[in-house]
Amino acid sequence: MSLVRNFIEDWSRYRRSIDEGGFHEYEHMWGMVIDLDKCTGCNACSVACYAENNLAVVGEDKFENGQGMHWMRIERYWDEPNIGNERVRDTQEHGASFMPMMCQQCNSATCEPVCPVSAAYHTPDGLNAQIYNRCVGSRYCANNCPYRLRYFNFFSYYEDSWPSPLDMQLNPDITVRDKGVMEKCTFCVQRIRSTKNAAKMEDRQVVDGEVQTACQQTCPTSAIVFGDLLDHESDVHKLWHKHQTRLGTTKQKKDNPELRGYRLYEQLNTEPSVTYLERVRDV
Amino acid sequence: MSKIEFDRRDFLKVMGVSGVAATVAGCDMPSYITSEEGAEEVIPYLSPEEFVIPGVGVHYASTCLQCPATCGIRGRVREGRVLKLEGNPKSALNTGKLCQMGQAGLQTHYNPDRLTKPLVRKDGALAEATWEDALALIEEKTGPSSGLSGGRFAWLTGTISGHQSVLLKAHLESLGSSSHFVHEVINTRVWQAVCQDMLGQSMPRLRIDKAKMVLSFGADFLGTWMSPIHFSADYARFRSGEDRGMLVQAEPSMSLTGANADLWVALRPGTEGVMALGLANVLINKERMDASALPAAALELINQYGVSRTTKMTGIAGDRLIRIARHLKERSPSLVLAGASAAGHVGGYQSVQAAMLLNILLGNIDQTIEASGDFALPQLASVSGGTSDLSRFADAAGAGKLDAVFFDGSNPLFAAPNHLGLTEKFDSIPFKVAFSQFMDETTAHADVVLPMASALEDWGTHVAAYQGGDHEIAFQQPLMEPIYPGTRSFGDMLLALNSMRNPGSYDGLEDYYGYLQSAVGSIPGVLKGEDDEAINVSAWNRILQDGRLQMPVDTRAFTSNLSMDDMDVRDADPAFPYYLVPTPRGTLYDGRHANIPWLQESPDQISKVVWNSWAEIHPVTAAKLAVEEGDVITVTTPDGVLEVPVYIHKGIHVDVVAVPMGQGHEDYGRYARGRGVNPLKILQPGSDAKTGELALYGSRAALAATGRAGRLIKMGNTETQHGRKIVATITAEQQRRNEGDS
Repeated sequence: MSLVRNFIEDWSRYRRSIDEGGFHEYEHMWGMVIDLDKCTGCNACSVACYAENNLAVVGEDKFENGQGMHWMRIERYWDEPNIGNERVRDTQEHGASFMPMMCQQCNSATCEPVCPVSAAYHTPDGLNAQIYNRCVGSRYCANNCPYRLRYFNFFSYYEDSWPSPLDMQLNPDITVRDKGVMEKCTFCVQRIRSTKNAAKMEDRQVVDGEVQTACQQTCPTSAIVFGDLLDHESDVHKLWHKHQTRLGTTKQKKDNPELRGYRLYEQLNTEPSVTYLERVRDV
Repeated sequence: MSKIEFDRRDFLKVMGVSGVAATVAGCDMPSYITSEEGAEEVIPYLSPEEFVIPGVGVHYASTCLQCPATCGIRGRVREGRVLKLEGNPKSALNTGKLCQMGQAGLQTHYNPDRLTKPLVRKDGALAEATWEDALALIEEKTGPSSGLSGGRFAWLTGTISGHQSVLLKAHLESLGSSSHFVHEVINTRVWQAVCQDMLGQSMPRLRIDKAKMVLSFGADFLGTWMSPIHFSADYARFRSGEDRGMLVQAEPSMSLTGANADLWVALRPGTEGVMALGLANVLINKERMDASALPAAALELINQYGVSRTTKMTGIAGDRLIRIARHLKERSPSLVLAGASAAGHVGGYQSVQAAMLLNILLGNIDQTIEASGDFALPQLASVSGGTSDLSRFADAAGAGKLDAVFFDGSNPLFAAPNHLGLTEKFDSIPFKVAFSQFMDETTAHADVVLPMASALEDWGTHVAAYQGGDHEIAFQQPLMEPIYPGTRSFGDMLLALNSMRNPGSYDGLEDYYGYLQSAVGSIPGVLKGEDDEAINVSAWNRILQDGRLQMPVDTRAFTSNLSMDDMDVRDADPAFPYYLVPTPRGTLYDGRHANIPWLQESPDQISKVVWNSWAEIHPVTAAKLAVEEGDVITVTTPDGVLEVPVYIHKGIHVDVVAVPMGQGHEDYGRYARGRGVNPLKILQPGSDAKTGELALYGSRAALAATGRAGRLIKMGNTETQHGRKIVATITAEQQRRNEGDS
């Protein structure tokens, strides 16, 4: 009997690993959906992230050198001179394209294997974690990130980014990083941890919607959905399912190619945990 | 309140003067914590106050004062410090959401350049003084023995509402004055005037979520117009599902709302009303829409704006105009909005009127424009500001009609165009008192400076000018003890000023908190039954927990009074061939957020520039001037010159130069001072004839290259996706095919 059960368990685990991009026992698989049609590019998420995660304001000189610390940034693209056969006219008549960009929490992350000291590692939550006190500042991970969303502390920003009493606002749940350390979006791991702890104290599972990332919580159009991809009742899982995006592939197979879900640069086999829904324009 | 010495740990005990229990219960505490009223002894930190659990954050409701929309907030407070602001889910206005300015309210509160001590001008310079000296001087100049009365005394404030407004009016009355100037650069006064005149209500409810199409003439409802966070949630509903609405935005330079439009139209500034009438013409004459709702005079006017004339005046191709008209007819109900760039002209009122006429023709009244009714307690209603008050103030000051002026929540010397000559006129007022948190341009010219508590340290009530459905009073309660003991609450100051004029008038009230509680208690049916003497403490606590008090809505039907005046479009001056647009953005807003480092480093939504000013021009203009991105140009109007680096893109009309407002501070702390330029300064004179609002969008400019390269610091190095699939786009047709309600 146990032989059969073992076989069935192993087989289902194998089947699941295809969906989950590897042979892991994940507790959670935190994932996200960002609807680019709802995103208005307002930047509220970015400032909320500064407030939640103790991000340093670096000032114009360092910003000019590309040292801004915006874990969550809104990229803006204009329509290109030519799109297909249509030439863009004298005006940007379909507005702008906004891209909220933060760590994609890749499950096959290009940043992780290159770290000489294993500061970048993968958690049982499916998060792409950075262990600050292990980091030696080689910056190999940032070099290898195709999304360019790892941020390096070239300076000890705590010295002048929070002149008193601005420092009173710093979130005590997380650190202020020092010079020589790489940092990036954590999916608000401190909020995940405190919710998981609270759930454990009450001897229950984390409920969908209980963990909100700072960017998601403030988003005026609710364009950001966050949750556990392993929880089949979660909004985020339902959206991935509805738009037929899944983990474990470099090219989504879709019954209906018009469905809006896609993962950024998934052809690079990075296995991002963020699905974007395509922008829509009425033309 | 201010007489009591305390330190940070004793935070809530401060409130103990007027009710420990109230404040304690005003937060979302775990239910096992009980409050003990009247506990007075000092408790060491090892057994701290029962509501302070080291390491556990609690949330208090309050109200955001970063712009006049008055969204509800909840602050996370830990160990007596407020760490993070979120939207208050119980607020009907913003339902738990917040914009970047709201998020950055923390850095207004914790700003290192806050004023901490009163200042009094001595021998021409501001010098530190005690509160007693400052108040004695105010009593000497404006007290009963000063002989000051009538219109020689004035208040100048930003948008104000709630009980602060009540006390401020009482103070004015005590001086026999009715001079209250309410100044707000970014406002909706012209829209309100048109709604009042045509529909009988100044603030009808706008149902973007119910519309199938929104045509917006420069109404940046996702960025700065009226109540952006409320409209953002409506917009999300408008965009989802199989009935995804269509957004067409017509404006001179792209706003955040324009960047999200399905169709963005570059419109010649000042011709918004012409385009609206042209659309009405097409709808009536080509699409055969029933125009019986419109008066004969309006029809006559519409008939003058045929397609060819409209095309000539607005610069919009005829086929495009016809296409937009067709969409409007097919997608009913629609909604036509008119914002700052339509209203900010000499004929601004008529342009907004034409947009409203289009709403009437399209049958949108009572569909997407719903009757709202006045706020149940008119004395608490919002007194919305505008720029006409700025010019009236300048006139009064210039004519020597003012002996003493009090300032709060507004920075007129920064916002006033050079042509008003306000600085000299301001300096000629004998006695000026600034109630201020920062040394801004206006405060620097005051005779007495009183340092105010921040919005997160103070009590107050606020009533939004635009209410999102439910009518609410928004409650502002302190999220922490004042950082600086030398600052005082604005409400306490208003009480003190009133007592100064009428000794004994507010006896029995400990402070503004006490006043608020008794004032709210006097609203029938809120805190007391008919015969009850004492207030219902648990009802009061619930209000503070929610941060909101819902008021009954007495919805009044629209009345209609349709009149239509002809457009007033001014010809170009050949010496100044470009239009200067001072862009409002929900980042630095009108300049009040230039001292917030998060917002200075927050890339502009359109240009992605940080820490500086820039001028947006079209590539055609750039080619004419032979400049590239980052090169410095001069923007010259008859009233002044700006030197500013250019950002070149196609989201702007060819004849327009757009310079965002907010930078160019001479003062205002380390983050704002000496950075960029202030386009408001060089605007030309002119105002809307009907409302007196300054024609902020009506200035003409000449541009010239300086031959110098400037510094334009931007996020990102590429303007396009270079063919990569970063932001993919599909058509609405495809989206409708595949998505039901999502």
